[in-house]
Amino acid sequence: MNNMHKFIDIVGEDNFSDKIEDLIPYSYDASINVYRPDALIWPETKEQISQIVTIANKKGVPIIPRGAGTSLSGGVIAIEGGIVIDVSKMNKIIEIKIEDRYATVQPGVICDDLNKELSKYKFIFPPDPASSSVSTIGGNVATNAGGIKGAKYGTTRDYVLGLEVVIPTGEIMHTGAHTMKCVSGYDLPKLFTGSEGTLGVITEVTLKINPVPLHAMTAMATFDRLEDAGHAISETMTGSNLIPSVMEILDKVTLKSIRENTSLELPECEAMLLTETDGYTWQEVEAQMMVILEIFKKNNPLTIKTAKEEKERMELWEARKGAYATLSRISTGVLDDVTVPISKFTDLLVGVQEISKKRGLVIGTYGHAGDGNLHPQILYDTYDPEQVKKMEMVESDLFHLAVSLNGTLTGEHGIGLSKADYMGLEHDSVEMEVMKKIKKALDPNNIMNPGKMALHF
Amino acid sequence: MSEPLELSKKYQHMVTQCSRCGFCRMVCPIFDITKNWATNAGGKMVLIKEIIDEKTKPSEGIAKSLLNCTTCMNCTINCPSGVDPPEVIRAARKDMVNLGYDNMFKAMSDVIAKTGNLYGEEEKPDWGHKHEKAPYVLFVGCVGTYRERESVEKTIKLLDILGVKFTMIDEVCCSGVLEDVGYQARKELARHNINEFHRTGAKTLITTCPYCYRTFKNHPFYKDLNLELKHITQFLAEYDFKVKTDKKVTYHDPCDLGRHEGIYEEPRQIIRKIAPNFVEPERTRENAMCCGAGGGVRGSFPKESITIARNRLRKIIEETGAEILLTECPSCLHNFRNAKLRRWNIEIYNITEFIAILYKEMDVRETVAA
Repeated sequence: MNNMHKFIDIVGEDNFSDKIEDLIPYSYDASINVYRPDALIWPETKEQISQIVTIANKKGVPIIPRGAGTSLSGGVIAIEGGIVIDVSKMNKIIEIKIEDRYATVQPGVICDDLNKELSKYKFIFPPDPASSSVSTIGGNVATNAGGIKGAKYGTTRDYVLGLEVVIPTGEIMHTGAHTMKCVSGYDLPKLFTGSEGTLGVITEVTLKINPVPLHAMTAMATFDRLEDAGHAISETMTGSNLIPSVMEILDKVTLKSIRENTSLELPECEAMLLTETDGYTWQEVEAQMMVILEIFKKNNPLTIKTAKEEKERMELWEARKGAYATLSRISTGVLDDVTVPISKFTDLLVGVQEISKKRGLVIGTYGHAGDGNLHPQILYDTYDPEQVKKMEMVESDLFHLAVSLNGTLTGEHGIGLSKADYMGLEHDSVEMEVMKKIKKALDPNNIMNPGKMALHF
Repeated sequence: MSEPLELSKKYQHMVTQCSRCGFCRMVCPIFDITKNWATNAGGKMVLIKEIIDEKTKPSEGIAKSLLNCTTCMNCTINCPSGVDPPEVIRAARKDMVNLGYDNMFKAMSDVIAKTGNLYGEEEKPDWGHKHEKAPYVLFVGCVGTYRERESVEKTIKLLDILGVKFTMIDEVCCSGVLEDVGYQARKELARHNINEFHRTGAKTLITTCPYCYRTFKNHPFYKDLNLELKHITQFLAEYDFKVKTDKKVTYHDPCDLGRHEGIYEEPRQIIRKIAPNFVEPERTRENAMCCGAGGGVRGSFPKESITIARNRLRKIIEETGAEILLTECPSCLHNFRNAKLRRWNIEIYNITEFIAILYKEMDVRETVAA
């Protein structure tokens, strides 16, 4: 590209690189997609981003916004080359306004850093992706990140009150409000949330924040039949008159890898459920947990245990959050996030096992059972072409299974490149056309993260 | 250029095991200041994987980029995928040198061979402790000797105050650090040190420098050492001291002592005896942030190295409000002292140095009282 000096003029030499040793790592995210960008920019202001995007739009140069790069769908991969805009240096918490229940942050603020700051006021930004220790708020918004508390507290979209976005023309747009409610005009914050960087570069986010529940209690139950675990989940989520703050499932393969690679003494079983209740008083938390444990007891559990100590609780959640990476100690893998209506969750669990058997690849399974979001991690050898082929068949099987169960390809990781080919499976042609029209209206030169979400027009 | 990447290839499985979850972003001292994923452990694993898989050719730039790691092991400790990036990076650095991409440490290797120390210094200080025979032999290392001399003098003073029967030798560089930056430790230097140690008849070798400790303990050139090896904090852990400070004291875990060797408790055992007002920094023990001096970064990227030290120091001051920062590593000490801003109201010492100062103050008080 001949325009590199212009970008250097905008951000300075220290915030620009087209060196091969920098470009290679930025060819990757946590998915299996690998394409090399032409340049990397670390802007420090929205004005810089605006100037960069203006030039890129004129020249038709792709722009790939990037946060922590933990995307599991190839969402930040430069399939058509172009410039990666890494927002990690824009990491300031601009304002915490407890009296109005919102926080405004730059896109590079780390999710856990925001929560650490909010905790001083006993407040929290609840969406809690497993990568929260490194994920950026900009990335969380762009992918509408969920996490383990989704069933009770929803996903990022439920908390985005307002956004500042550099749209593909380079103009800076402010959308949304600083109010708890707003129906003024189209809900553009919701459109941009989860748009995977295809509509603009997010430069500021205003988030609704919640008071922290004062008490929480964790319990785990083990089962030797997946169906029993599945029934315990759907019964809890629909027949208990309460919503636990967490309801996670981990299967045998996942438990084995955690057991062998951490100091946690997890039992051998077909499935383990981890659940948490939270609330204002301990009595309330305990009462909710008693109801859940009664349901567990009716579904043939092997063991039931409550984690009373805070340390024990934290260890369990840490193990759960590290499940993806811990499984990679066994083998390289692909992590999916198919999601189904809660009543179909057991069918999904059993279906995944059948696919694993049919294709002859091990699948470690865990996920956010409370909202029907499963994470099958397909383990395979990336250097073995046969296994690569099998992995692709397994992915296809999983997507078909989820959609056949009235579910979705992705509950929280996004479409990116990995699932782009399957968009038609879930979305009819009319809907696809509407999405493409939106994309074209905002980004006629198709510079914003091209190739993602099958939005080519 | 045609030579295979034999050292890196041993780690093909490990680099493939990296799931690129990015958890190393939260602990890497280099990433902390660059925000460039390429400088992070995960980014480097990807780079090395591409080279091993022959998708990318090694280059001068790649070789330099691989030098940008303090080998502090914070990524290792926090890697849920079980990868040990510093180990892989060390191997890759050697491969780069073998492929012809020498780095600035080639000159250091030559200087060490010629002068027996890291800095090419011609004159050695006389510590005044060359007894022929003693039960303990003290080794202070290059950084202490040539860059933190006063600190070493006080450490020696403390051992004298405590009545430790120790001797010192005609030290040459342990040369272990060369293994971190692409080169080989030097056998002749190891042999010299071992012979000197044995000549003293000592049964125990005490080191003040955690890196020298690591080299003596782990490097095959020192397999004939046949001495009980103790870092000075281990040696002094059971001692009682007649001095105390009322000041608020905190402690920085050196990476070479903590994460590399698991020595966390002994320094604290000592500090608790002399400083009742001891407070831990937020990031401490296994999670302590690196001072930025290790793995050759101090030499290759001096500006960044100082920035890392300054950031660590700033955090420590903010989090603890301590008046005294203790550590027990000449490199950490040196980097922190260089990084400290004048307006920061904190004093930085090695533990042993600080205790010697307390003894001196006690002496002065007693003299005045008398």
